[in-house]
Amino acid sequence: MNEAVKTNLVPMVAQEFAPQLRVRELEGQLEVGVKGDWTVHTIHLIENDLNGLLEVIKTKNIAPEDVSIHINHLNDLDSAGAYMLCEIIKAGQDDLVVNEETVFGEHPFARDFLKQMERFVEGGIEIPKPVDAVAKFKQHVVDGIDDFFRESVETLSFVGQTVSSLVLAFTNPKRVRWLPTISVAESAGLDAIPIVMMLTFFIGAVVAFMGAQTLEAFGGTVFTVDLVGISVLREFAVIITAIILAGRSDSAFTAQIGSMKMTQEIDAMSIIGLDPMEMLVIPRVLALLIMTPIMVFFAMIAGLVGGAFVSVLTLDISFTLYLNRLQEYVGDKHFWVGMSKAPVFAFIIAIIGCRQGLEVENDVISLGKHTTAAVVQAIFMVILVDAIFALIYNELEI
Amino acid sequence: MNYVDAVTPILDCTADQVAIRLRNITNKFGDFIIHKDLDLDVLRGETIGFVGGSGAGKSVLLRTIIGLNRPFAGKVDVLGIDVWGENEAEQEKLASKWGVMFQDGALFSSLTVLENVMVPLKEHTNLSPKLMGEIAALKVLMAGLPKEAGDKLPSELSGGMRKRAALARALALDPDILFLDEPTAGLDPITAGRFDDLINDLKQALGLTVFIITHDLDTLRDACDRVAALANQRVSAIGPLDYVREQATGWLEEYFSGPRGRAALG
Repeated sequence: MNEAVKTNLVPMVAQEFAPQLRVRELEGQLEVGVKGDWTVHTIHLIENDLNGLLEVIKTKNIAPEDVSIHINHLNDLDSAGAYMLCEIIKAGQDDLVVNEETVFGEHPFARDFLKQMERFVEGGIEIPKPVDAVAKFKQHVVDGIDDFFRESVETLSFVGQTVSSLVLAFTNPKRVRWLPTISVAESAGLDAIPIVMMLTFFIGAVVAFMGAQTLEAFGGTVFTVDLVGISVLREFAVIITAIILAGRSDSAFTAQIGSMKMTQEIDAMSIIGLDPMEMLVIPRVLALLIMTPIMVFFAMIAGLVGGAFVSVLTLDISFTLYLNRLQEYVGDKHFWVGMSKAPVFAFIIAIIGCRQGLEVENDVISLGKHTTAAVVQAIFMVILVDAIFALIYNELEI
Repeated sequence: MNYVDAVTPILDCTADQVAIRLRNITNKFGDFIIHKDLDLDVLRGETIGFVGGSGAGKSVLLRTIIGLNRPFAGKVDVLGIDVWGENEAEQEKLASKWGVMFQDGALFSSLTVLENVMVPLKEHTNLSPKLMGEIAALKVLMAGLPKEAGDKLPSELSGGMRKRAALARALALDPDILFLDEPTAGLDPITAGRFDDLINDLKQALGLTVFIITHDLDTLRDACDRVAALANQRVSAIGPLDYVREQATGWLEEYFSGPRGRAALG
C-alpha cells in the first residue's frame, strides 16, 4: 500500500495509485473499470464519481445483469473499497451476487475478498437518521420537568430514610461508625476552615468599605459596625460556609460514593450485611452536623475581624469602639440566628451529596452528571432555605 | 514460512515476513523484573495466542508493543517501524495500521457504538459523513453486532456486545495487525466460541495478523496458528499448539494437563 496515503498529516495520493472509475456504455451494457487503490484512505477521491454512476444506473433503469465490473487494473482493496464496489454490483437490485457474470478480470485477492464481504453488505447498510432538532428540544423540556418532580420526590424520600437511620443511630450510638465520621469531619470540616475564614474575612472587609461610603454621606460612619456585625453574623458567615461545603465536600461525597457504586462496592456491602446508609450516609451527615457550626463560628470571627480591619485602619473607628458597639447594638441575637441555620444547611448538603452518589450508574458520564447535580442542587437549596429562614425570622420579628 | 517449523522466538526470515519483531526487551517496575531479554517474531498473516500465568506480564508486553509502556531496554519493530525510536512521523502511521481491542472494550462512554467506530475514520480519512457512517455501520455488522446496536451507548450493551463494538472500532481502518487483549474473558462459552469464529472469519476476509492474549484454551485450539507461552521473564515456548503441549514444563504443563486443559484439548 502506498505509504504517503497513510499519513494523517498530508493525505496526498500519488497519481498512479489514485482510485479511478471508468464507465463505458455499449448497447445498453454498462462496463465499469476500476483502477488504483480502493482503500479507506483513498475512496473519498471517487465518492462523487461513484454517486454519479449510481444515479445513472438508477435513472437509466439499467438492469443489474447489464452492469459489469472489471478489476484487472485494481491495485489495493480493503473492506471500505470493497463496500463501494459492492454498491455498484448491487445497484438497482436487492441481492448482491459476486460471480463471473458481474465481476470480470484477474486480481490476486479482490475476487475472494468481494465474496467474503458479500454477506455483510447483502442486507443493506443503514445509518441512523439524525434526530429532528425540534422534537429533541421538546423531549428535553419534557424530560427536564419530569426530572425535576422525580428528583424532588426522591430527595424527600431519601430525607425520610436518613432521618429514620439517624434516629436509630442516636438511640444506639454504638452502631455509629465513628472512625469514618471523624475522618470526614477532618477532611470536609477542619481542612476547610482556613478557606472559609479567608473568604469571610474579605467579605467583612468589603461590606465595611461599601457601607462606610454610603453611611458617610449621612454622617453615620459608625453604623458601619452594625452593618458588618449584622450581615456577617446573620448571613454571610453561614452562607459562605455552606457554599464552600457544597462545592468542596459535596462533590467529594458524590464522587466517592459514586465510584464505590461503579465498582459494586455498595452491592458487596449489602450482601455482607452492612447497611450502606449506616456505613456511608450517616457518618457524612453526622460529621457535617458537628463540623458546620464550628466552621460557621470561625467564619463569623474572621468576618468581624475583616470589618474591624477596615474600620480601624480607614474609618477612624477605634478597635475598642468597634467591640463596644458590637456588644451593645448588635448583641448575641444575630449570632444565634446565624448559628441556627448551620445544622439545617449541613443536613441539606450532606444528604444531597450522598443521594447523588448513590444515584450514579455504571458509567463515567453519570458520575460527572451527578457530581454537578450535587453541587448545583446543594447551593440552590441552601439559598432557598436561607430565604425561608429570612421570612420566618421576619415574621417572628427577630 | 511454515508454522510447524516456527518453534523458536527468533525466526530466520526476512523483515517483510515479520509483522512484529521484539529484541532484548527488558521491562521492570522498580526492582521487579517482568521481562528480561525477551525476543519474539510474529509472522505476517498468522494468529498468535499468548498465554502465561497471572502477573507473568502479558498485558505489559502488549502495552510495550503498542507504544503505551516504554521498555527499560530493547527494540520493538511493528511492520518495520521502530515503535520506541526517534522517528515520530513513521510512528504516527502505525495508528492506522494496527487496531487494538482492550480487555474491557475501552469504548468512549459518551459516544454511541457507531460514533465510536467513526472516531478513527474521522481522524485518519477524508470520507464524507455519509460514507463514513456507512463504513462504520459495515464494521459494526462485520463485528457481528445487530444493526440496531449502532445507536446504543456502551453502557447499554452487554459485556459480549461491548467486546464486539470494541472489535468494530479496532477494525475501522482495516488494520494490518489486530491486538486482542483477553477477547473471550467474561463471555459465556457459546458467545466465546462465536467470537473465535468471528476472529477466524475476519482474518480470512481481511488477511490480518492477529495477536491474542488469552487464557482460553478453546481460543488457542480454534483460532490460533501458533501459541507462545510467557514464563520466567521471556517467551519460554512457542510453536503450534501440539508442539507447545509436548514441550510444556512447569506452569505450562499444569495449564495444559489440568482438568480444563484436558476438557478443551482432549
